[in-house]
Amino acid sequence: MIVYELNLLTNFLIVGALLFGIGLIGFLSRRNMIIMFLSAEMMLQGVSVSLVAWGRYFNDLDGQILVIFIITVAACEAALALALILMLFQRRGNLDIALWHDLRESNVPPYVDRELPEMPPYESGPWPTLTPAGRQPELPRRDTDYRSHV
Amino acid sequence: MNASQWILVAATLLGAMAMWLLLPRVRARGWPLGIVIGAISLGLLASQVPRIGRWGADSVFLILAAITVIAAVATVTLRNPIYCAIWFGLSLLGTAGLFLFQGSAFLAVATVIVYAGAILVTFLFLIMLADPQGGAYYDRVGWETSLSAFTGAVIVGVLSMTMIGVLTNPSPQFLAAGSTEAELAAGVLTEYPIALLGTELFGRHLIAVEVAGTLLLAALVGAAAIVAQGRSKKPPEVAGPTDKAAATQTAHGASSDGEQTSLTRTQAPAEQSR
Repeated sequence: MIVYELNLLTNFLIVGALLFGIGLIGFLSRRNMIIMFLSAEMMLQGVSVSLVAWGRYFNDLDGQILVIFIITVAACEAALALALILMLFQRRGNLDIALWHDLRESNVPPYVDRELPEMPPYESGPWPTLTPAGRQPELPRRDTDYRSHV
Repeated sequence: MNASQWILVAATLLGAMAMWLLLPRVRARGWPLGIVIGAISLGLLASQVPRIGRWGADSVFLILAAITVIAAVATVTLRNPIYCAIWFGLSLLGTAGLFLFQGSAFLAVATVIVYAGAILVTFLFLIMLADPQGGAYYDRVGWETSLSAFTGAVIVGVLSMTMIGVLTNPSPQFLAAGSTEAELAAGVLTEYPIALLGTELFGRHLIAVEVAGTLLLAALVGAAAIVAQGRSKKPPEVAGPTDKAAATQTAHGASSDGEQTSLTRTQAPAEQSR
């Protein structure tokens, strides 16, 4: 019976390590700020799986309790990080983290894109058309011509 | 180094190559080969991990683990951020299944409700606000892809080799610290797990619960403050030439609305402002 628990522990620790490693790879190599944060959340999931496995092996509920606190802290972190990402996006108009490479260490050379991928052509529709019906709503001209934010 | 460790080293190197092929690069044509090599590497890793014992539990665990890991790989390698978020949702469901497999029903449900139901939805809202189309250049290019793939694979490989090496020959103290079935039935695998979890959480860890509540309040206030401050520092809207005319017309239209039926009155300012 103990061997069953031991093999269960080994299996779950390997899965936790895989989730953590994949999150690490995503965090280090992606440039979209949202995907980077998603990979950080993946790392937290890997740690949660490992904690639950250890809690089961030692018959201790503290593993699950710590995972509850990890979920709580991840929720707070998501709220704050996404607010900050939104503010950064509104500064530069771009979710690229390489735009903020001025915040690097002083002995690291600046990052320069040697080549960029071609943008796929934006195919615009045949969009569906609706026959106009009813009275046109009264909108000030500002909102129909230019919208500066959503 | 025996054969098992060499197979794990091979799995690590194949996994590094697979992740490098799958990650977004400028000329990334080799992603089908990356999928094949990744499957081979996962298979080699799964062959070295000791099986649980009962074939039913084994197959359920392997299916759940495969769903979770493959969804995780898809999360970090896809080029469209909305697809990444949805695959992250699938990996969260896999993780919830793994929690349920371990006997923690509350964590499975909490993961689905809080993580997949609140945090993931917040991510989707942010993608809607910031990057809805998903064809941007920064989604399809990465930096230091080979180094990060190698680092991640080395970390996973070293952890796997250590764990398999140590846990297949455990020391007697470690075996004695494990739990028998009777102990588990009274502890983690009890009949009403949520009751026991609640007793522990609000008994031993009451202060931590209160601190977590305060942290949530601080995060809420902080997020609102960040967005409010960002809004007040925004550069002023670019004003068009008709703005002043439209403002005076709508003022006229609003003042005359209360007096009569506004069909003719408000049509005239709308026509003039067009």
